[in-house]
Amino acid sequence: MESLNEIISKCEDLSFDLNFTRAKEWKSQDQSRVLVGYMPIYFPREIIHAANGLAIGIMGGGDKKLIVKGDAYYQSYICHMPRGIIELALDNHFEGFDGFIFPSICDVIRNLSGMFKLLNKGKFVKYLDYPQNFKSHIGGTFYIQEMEHVLAEVKKINNVEITPERLNHSISLFNKNRKLTEEIYSIRDAAPWKITAADVYHIVRAGLVIPVEEHNEILEKVISLLNQESGEPLDKIRVLVIGAFCEQPPVGLIRAIELAGCYIVEDDFLLGTRWIQGDIPTDSNDPFRALSHSYLNNSTFSSSVYDVDNPKEARLLKLASERKVDGIIFAAPSFCDPALLDHPILQQACIENNMRYISFLYSENTGQFKVIKEQVGTFSDSIKLWD
Amino acid sequence: MDNKVYTLGIDVGSSTIKLVLMEYSDNPIIIDKVNEKIRKRNPESISDLLLDAILLKNNLKYEDIAYVASTGEGELLKRKKGHFYSMTTHAKGGLFLNPGSKTVLDLGALFVRAINISDEGRVLDYKMTGQCASGSGQFVENISRYLGLAIEEVGDASLKSMSPELPSGICSVLAETDVINMVSRGISTPDIIKGIHLSIASKVIKLLSSLKADSKVALMGGMAMNKGMVQAIEELGTEAKLGLTFSTHPDAIYSGAIGAAIFGGFRYHKLNKK
Repeated sequence: MESLNEIISKCEDLSFDLNFTRAKEWKSQDQSRVLVGYMPIYFPREIIHAANGLAIGIMGGGDKKLIVKGDAYYQSYICHMPRGIIELALDNHFEGFDGFIFPSICDVIRNLSGMFKLLNKGKFVKYLDYPQNFKSHIGGTFYIQEMEHVLAEVKKINNVEITPERLNHSISLFNKNRKLTEEIYSIRDAAPWKITAADVYHIVRAGLVIPVEEHNEILEKVISLLNQESGEPLDKIRVLVIGAFCEQPPVGLIRAIELAGCYIVEDDFLLGTRWIQGDIPTDSNDPFRALSHSYLNNSTFSSSVYDVDNPKEARLLKLASERKVDGIIFAAPSFCDPALLDHPILQQACIENNMRYISFLYSENTGQFKVIKEQVGTFSDSIKLWD
Repeated sequence: MDNKVYTLGIDVGSSTIKLVLMEYSDNPIIIDKVNEKIRKRNPESISDLLLDAILLKNNLKYEDIAYVASTGEGELLKRKKGHFYSMTTHAKGGLFLNPGSKTVLDLGALFVRAINISDEGRVLDYKMTGQCASGSGQFVENISRYLGLAIEEVGDASLKSMSPELPSGICSVLAETDVINMVSRGISTPDIIKGIHLSIASKVIKLLSSLKADSKVALMGGMAMNKGMVQAIEELGTEAKLGLTFSTHPDAIYSGAIGAAIFGGFRYHKLNKK
């Protein structure tokens, strides 16, 4: 049996394989298989799975891709991630992808979808609108139509008809994936010294580029190995990191936060993988309605979602309380409007509820962490020694 | 609280590793201390050797230590329980060695840091020198090597200066060129050394002035062991009329490790209460 370190190392390689080798290899084994790339934050991968496809999470080039052409497509006051994605597209990293989904989270992603259309990338490019009306007969119906539109595009390519049974089966696989991911987060919550946040990040991120069946096997092995680990706790504070739901922080930054005296016990990295809270029913005659219902009623919170009836500041504080955190770290990508517009509201809630916090900005290709480490370290010391 | 426990502070500096064994209680006391130059070796191996040596010397086992705390660049040490940041530990260690201090000046190998502290040793504000190496202990060490002096001889040599020669450059590369010129012009070693001390001291005084430092100022870190450096700071401090009094301590180099050991004891009791 593979050791935990071997699994983590494999996941690290998969996570940052910008050629998507495993996904392309999977596609090559059957002519009716399709690859559909999707951008952050959330996309119902179940529907692509049911249509004999693989939905691939495209999280940008991170600190692994040198941006040469991408800067010509975006002004200097735009975040970094779309530059990396367009650079990957122009360098043909997405060769073999059949389609691309751009969830409606901000103007930058919408503009990126236009660029993909102009560049004729894939056989279809879909800007996927999410409902802002949370009533089932309005927003729910609209969302189902959006999903059906995506599937109509896929059907044009492979002619696969989705049945309720197929979709229910796919939903059950992703339910399992979410449950196993949540279990790893629970292990970290209870004993964060057993595995680092950076290692968890690699394990979860690997799931964005391989079939869900394979990822579920990896997660099961990891959980089994973690349950055998004991490890030695260090004297660190427990923190929640928020703001990284779209452009991903460099792994060096995640490591720097933990080295600077913190255990990250909750975060919004790769948030789409944990978007739906709890299971989606798998015995429905109308699984599209079940997916839609879960999106409307069981989604987590994020800066890109309208939340008038369920304010995110209350949800953030509830999450912080459940994870028993000592403080919150607001880490947002530079120029990320949704995150940065929300932070003053969330921070005000922290002040009113005596929740300690710090904030800083990053970019997916940030390479120097000394200043951030000093800032986080001083935050950790101040909580450990003076609170 | 007066449950005495042993704690260990390990300060991994950029040039030297310092270890302090303390008996932590309401009145912490230093049991033993040791330091060693890194000299391009692996800091983890050196700290391991020093840790084992100090335990053996004091007839203790690793398990007898309630809390091993690292500071400085010691985040990656495997045998620690927790890590505290340099600013936090130098503030506490400086206050421990010089009770009543309001400002701690950490004169390190890589940079100088001025820290205003509360009565309990909490960091209130700070300023530090930039990346320029000409304001650091490493610079003094380099110059002493060029002049054929051991670092321990630098302080006494500086005190013998009659007519200090200031380097013109603010950059260490230019200052080193200056020193070569001074040697060829026949300037005496004490005058060159004193000039270097005054050059660093002028940066220190600017730092204290911009921080609005308060008396008394505790001079800590490796350079505080250098009598010539201390005298240069006192002279320029008086000249600048900042109204500051300075003090140092023979264990000044250990201030970070002492702070870490004290905070380690504090955390040990706090965690046990939980």
